[in-house]
Amino acid sequence: MSEFIQNIVKKSPWIYRINAGSCNGCDVEMATTALIPRYDVERLGCKYCGSPKHADIVLISGPITAVVKDKMLRVYNEIPNPKVVVAVGICPISGGVFRESYSIDNQLDAYIPVDVNVPGCPPRPQAIIDGIAKAIEIWKSKF
Amino acid sequence: MDILKLLVNILLFPGGLFAILLALFLLGIDRKLYARLQRRVGPPIHQPLLDLIKLTQKETLIPRTANMTAFRLAPLLGFAGMLAAFALIPITGIYSGLYQSGDLLVLLYLLSTPALALMIGASASGSPYSSVGASREMTMVLAYEVPLLIVFLTVGMRVGLAGGKFAVLSMSGIVNYQLQNGSLLLDLRMLPAFLAFLCCIPGTLGVVPFDIPEAETELAEGPLLEYSGSGLAMFKMTGGLKMLVLSALAVALFFPTGIGSFWLVNLLWFIVKCLIICVFSITLVRATRARMRLDQAYKFFLIYPTSLTLISLVLILLTFRMPS
Repeated sequence: MSEFIQNIVKKSPWIYRINAGSCNGCDVEMATTALIPRYDVERLGCKYCGSPKHADIVLISGPITAVVKDKMLRVYNEIPNPKVVVAVGICPISGGVFRESYSIDNQLDAYIPVDVNVPGCPPRPQAIIDGIAKAIEIWKSKF
Repeated sequence: MDILKLLVNILLFPGGLFAILLALFLLGIDRKLYARLQRRVGPPIHQPLLDLIKLTQKETLIPRTANMTAFRLAPLLGFAGMLAAFALIPITGIYSGLYQSGDLLVLLYLLSTPALALMIGASASGSPYSSVGASREMTMVLAYEVPLLIVFLTVGMRVGLAGGKFAVLSMSGIVNYQLQNGSLLLDLRMLPAFLAFLCCIPGTLGVVPFDIPEAETELAEGPLLEYSGSGLAMFKMTGGLKMLVLSALAVALFFPTGIGSFWLVNLLWFIVKCLIICVFSITLVRATRARMRLDQAYKFFLIYPTSLTLISLVLILLTFRMPS
């Protein structure tokens, strides 16, 4: 039964984006992956949703600045379980060009569990789609 | 026995199970065609069903500020209203509707239950985005119900005056008249009213040019913001059912004629007609238009569909002759 559910569920992951102080480069690439016909993630059943309460896979970009950290955690906690986190771009992974900046305390996996890292500055759309596909596999096993 | 028949009609066919499956099919076709119009591959046709099953497997969160009872019961209200509404609409050759008289007005009331449910749920959730969404939803209801009511009245008077009465508001009366005297769509006087009804469909459903209450990019899904899991699934399903009810209503009011007397052919013909209405009034509009502002949408409904139906109504009254 659980395998049956997993096979259905893996075809309908909804995506939510959190911008945690990103320079908008990764966000443009993320919008590109879903919103233009060339890279269609809807064929995997994905859909961008406007509310964190509808989300399954959360894409986080940006170096988690000190100001945005608490707000990011609050939005993250509003996402119903089971959920999967994808860190998009080098910033949430290590700080990227903002590393050791006065406005950054720590990288993303110091605050919340990160399931997939998609490095790049910004990553290519293909890399983001690959990251989403990997995230779907991890997410599916949580049901 | 009557109660049993009523329950079957609302829970199995044509309301209930049949309506849910057909609505999911229409939603799937809509999404696939939308993707194809943008030259994407798009999701499979059974995607809405997969989404529903996924949503029921997710955790359901209820905000601390929410009014528990209203928040939980609101999705059920709209869902039940739509199931009952679909049971009122006759399907030619298969099903003749529930009641004999006055059901067009009952339908109008039932059609507003999903909007009402959305407003109750949104206000109960205690989120500021939701309450802005609820107030926008209310404004939209005020705007699109005016032309919708006049369309119903126009159809009722067209059928009624031809039969020597003032207006016929019973669904079965309207459908039977058309089966004997030809579809109302073939009557040129009714064409503006039909166009007005097509304009009202996306507004009533809240899809793209009129998705002002749910505006994802500015209100983060508005009234649906705080819903997750099964409650959200229920609202999504209600939207699909509403799409089905409106297209079935357009079919019943304007071209209900069937083919032959075999039930399966008639059923398929009915589904094809619903699909045509959905594609032209929802998918094509959704794929080619951007969202309107609230004031633009309000003016749009009070000017274009309303004047279109009024043209029809005036034409019918002008060409009316007392039957000798």
